[in-house]
Amino acid sequence: MAKNPTGGGNGDVGLGERDHQSAKILSLELLKKLVSTSPPLYLSPSPDLSHLSRNASKNLFTTLVPLCRPKSLPLTQLLSDENFDAEQIWHQIEFQSKPMVKSGRRSLRTFDGLGAEEWRKLFGVVDEEDELDEEVDALEENQVESEEEEEEEEEESEDEKNEDKKKKGIFDHGFFDTDELEEFLETEEKLEYEGNSKNEDDEEEEDDDDDEIGAFNEELSDDDAPYEKYDDFFGKKKKATESSKKNKKSTKTLKDIEDKDEWDEQNGHEDSFDGSQESEKDDDPMNDAESGDNKNNDTLSNFEKQSQIIKSQIDEIEKDLLGPKSWTMTGEITGSKRPKNSALEVDLDFQHNRSRPPIEAEENTASIEDIIMKRIREGNFDDVQRQAELPSKAPKESKQLDENKSQKGLAEIYEEEFAQTTGLANAPLSLTDEQKKEADSLFKKLCYKLDALSHFHFTPKPIIEDLSVSAINLPALAMEEIAPSAVSDAAMLAPEEIFSGKGNIKEDAELSKVDRKRRRAKNKRIFKAETIKRTSKKAKVAPITDLSNEKE
Amino acid sequence: MEIDSNTNDSVIPSLSEKPIFKALTASEMSNGKVQFRKIPVPAHRYTPLKKSWMEIYTPVNEQMIIDIRMNLKARKVEMKTKQDTPDVSNLQKCADFVHAFMLGFSVADAISLLRLDDLYIDTFEIKDVKTLKGEHLSRAIGRLSGKGGKTKFAIENSTRTRIVIADSKIHILGSFRNIKIARDSLCSLIMGSPAAKVYSKLRNITARLAEMN
Repeated sequence: MAKNPTGGGNGDVGLGERDHQSAKILSLELLKKLVSTSPPLYLSPSPDLSHLSRNASKNLFTTLVPLCRPKSLPLTQLLSDENFDAEQIWHQIEFQSKPMVKSGRRSLRTFDGLGAEEWRKLFGVVDEEDELDEEVDALEENQVESEEEEEEEEEESEDEKNEDKKKKGIFDHGFFDTDELEEFLETEEKLEYEGNSKNEDDEEEEDDDDDEIGAFNEELSDDDAPYEKYDDFFGKKKKATESSKKNKKSTKTLKDIEDKDEWDEQNGHEDSFDGSQESEKDDDPMNDAESGDNKNNDTLSNFEKQSQIIKSQIDEIEKDLLGPKSWTMTGEITGSKRPKNSALEVDLDFQHNRSRPPIEAEENTASIEDIIMKRIREGNFDDVQRQAELPSKAPKESKQLDENKSQKGLAEIYEEEFAQTTGLANAPLSLTDEQKKEADSLFKKLCYKLDALSHFHFTPKPIIEDLSVSAINLPALAMEEIAPSAVSDAAMLAPEEIFSGKGNIKEDAELSKVDRKRRRAKNKRIFKAETIKRTSKKAKVAPITDLSNEKE
Repeated sequence: MEIDSNTNDSVIPSLSEKPIFKALTASEMSNGKVQFRKIPVPAHRYTPLKKSWMEIYTPVNEQMIIDIRMNLKARKVEMKTKQDTPDVSNLQKCADFVHAFMLGFSVADAISLLRLDDLYIDTFEIKDVKTLKGEHLSRAIGRLSGKGGKTKFAIENSTRTRIVIADSKIHILGSFRNIKIARDSLCSLIMGSPAAKVYSKLRNITARLAEMN
């Protein structure tokens, strides 16, 4: 704070009653001035305001000096020169205010305990001694006002320093005092042991201790309604709810404090639970004991908390078991009964009868391609080679039904068969053998012709072994004829070879009648001979057919 | 009779030799009597008999040693045994041979009867198999013989038999088994099966027979 050049206050030395009164009047004036100044002016430091405030505080101090016990006060005068810091001044104020607060509380209690007669006595005392009473009243009023102001200042300071004080003390809220708490608890325990039924009061008081909003409100409102208000004690409700919530958790009974560390986690888990409860409490602060489940978390024991957790688990399990099952759990199901595309989400397990298609990966294709390239380089292709059919058996000769009349008689057939079985005669040539022979001879002829065409040297005809004596007169040797190829065989023949006729050869025109007759007779003779031959042959070979022909 | 128990002769009295009897000749068997066979000749076989008389006569007279003659008045072929006839059955064989010729078989086929013992002739009529009248009968006969006789020849060649179809009578000459096969095929033809079917059956059977033999 800036030093005041004007310096000094009023009346530093020798304080009397007049000084007190004058100081009082002065302080009031100064306070009025301070109040009248607009708040924005406080933001910027001004020497006038500081001077004013210092004087005001000094005067206040002097006015309050007679009210305090002289023993407790170390100072009779507030030293508020320019050299003193704000802190030093505040400390001095504290020296005075603390004992005053205590005395004020005690007096409040005495007022509580007073009955109607006692009030009258007080008032009676007041009637008798008007001036003194007035002064006392004024003093009382001043006391109360000062108390109020001091409390306001204290609360303001407390609000400013709330966060700092939180860490230090859990019990810095309003009227709560650990010493008083301990005294109270001891008395209550004694009462319990005596067996008095003051548990209700204890609970109430415990609840009051925990829930200062409700109970305190009830107590205070009955007695001190016209003078004190809720906001005076607990501050404004907006701030108080947050702080009260935090302080609720913090302000616990001694029993709970021990378990606080254990249950911190629980509180963290059951944050919603607590939050809901606290919201309910905020809504209806009066309905604590009414709802059964809405027991405060802080009052539950370990066992109760455990049982609550187990209950919730049990409820969940029951819900699962009793409720309708999901479609995957109900045996056979058709597509219409389950939600659309739900089978895609479920991991179905069934046998795959087909083998999976090969995975297309670079490694697989690379290995296959390597093999292919290697094979191409080597020329090792797996071509299918035609296998030659090996004849395991001789081809079966199918006997064809001969539809012609058999040339041999039945006796001859049996004779041949007998001869074969006994081994006297050769096996008869089968059809295939004959065909083979025929084919063989044809091929030999063809080969001879081709050789004659292609070869330069002459090769004679192949010898065909024949048992039968050929009637044709052929020369034994076949000599090469050196003749030009253009000349045909017909031209090379001699005239005798062409025609060998005897006698007188006559043309038809030249013939005489006799000759013609002779010729005709000759032809007739030949013809007759031939017919006879034919008829004789027919008669020999097929007498039966003649019969059958006759019949038909 | 005295029993020579005390004699210590090691010599066994020789038994008299068994008498060896020669086979009886046919005449001796019949006590010197001559046996006859008379076979009537049907009219349609008269001319063929005349033409092929020598072929019949020669084997009968020379190899069977049996007298044979044609009775023109009675129109019968008569046979009788000689004293030289070696076997009793020769006469019967000759009689069968001539009978076969009379039925319609050729001499070459009938001669097999003379040479082999186990050849027989089986005769049956179409009406035995199936009652057919008029055109059906004619058609059945036509079916049996086939076009130009090819079906009949096919059966003959495959079964080693000889078949004679005379109106509604059918004669089969051959061994017992072959006769049976031929008869079955002929009966199936009479019943109405086509020739191709008969051929296939014949083929199978003959193949099997050939394998067996």
